[in-house]
Amino acid sequence: MMNKQQFLRELDSSLEAISSAERCEILQDYEEYFSIGLEEGKTEEAIASSLGSPRQIGKELAASYQVEKAKTSATAGNIMRAVWAVIGLGFFNLVIVLGPLAGLIGVLAGGWAAGSAFVASPLLVLVNAVINMGTFEWFDLFLSIALCGTGLFILIGMFFVTKAILKGFLRYLKWNASLVKGGLQHD
Amino acid sequence: MNVQFKKGVLELCVLVLLDKRDRYGYELVQKISDQIEISEGSVYPLLRRLTKEEYFTTYLQESTEGPSRKYYKLTDKGRDYLHQLIADWNEFSRGVNQLIKEGGNDE
Repeated sequence: MMNKQQFLRELDSSLEAISSAERCEILQDYEEYFSIGLEEGKTEEAIASSLGSPRQIGKELAASYQVEKAKTSATAGNIMRAVWAVIGLGFFNLVIVLGPLAGLIGVLAGGWAAGSAFVASPLLVLVNAVINMGTFEWFDLFLSIALCGTGLFILIGMFFVTKAILKGFLRYLKWNASLVKGGLQHD
Repeated sequence: MNVQFKKGVLELCVLVLLDKRDRYGYELVQKISDQIEISEGSVYPLLRRLTKEEYFTTYLQESTEGPSRKYYKLTDKGRDYLHQLIADWNEFSRGVNQLIKEGGNDE
């Protein structure tokens, strides 16, 4: 059985990742909840147990906070923090978040690698000509210049594809955090 | 009832309760837990999320007994979202009810 202070302390300690201003607001919400409950004659322990696990509440708040942050500034670090926070909500999420993420990273890495190799191909033909004298063919050079153009288009395309995929994935994370698990059960 | 299922419905419940008038958090939680068994602590994360989505605005109001309370007010955007959720819900429950009805009969 937890009293008000224990509940709030445990909640506070599971909100470490969240900015202090927001943390303060969250704690105020729960303090208000306790004080109204007490006015109605409930005990601190009864209120705390009906609220459920502060750790689970903290996880849920941290996950939506991280996803929100990754959406406003989509740096690799922020996205990974959001992914970990959502995964932390439950084992189920490990599978349905990490799976698609690995797939998407594979597609993106492949696209960027192919585009870059195409763009670099004229250079490779020249390097080859220097290293293996006598194997130079004009046909190779023209072909590689054509490839280079195609590669440029692929890279430009990949830029937009990457942006779109990141946006889509963050929406998926958000939807996921709002739907799966969360402290609805009494535990 | 299934946890994931309830969580989606909780959003609808909160929005419906705020459609008629502004309410404070404790009141929302009690109204919902009178009808459905929920872990009461999970309503606040939901309220924060929906506030960030601009479905609600909040304001503080003094109460006659005790400290001031944070009230939630549905925005126009929130009301549009509510109407969409209600339409989704009706379609969903009609479908499920139909299946339950047919479930007993062999075709």
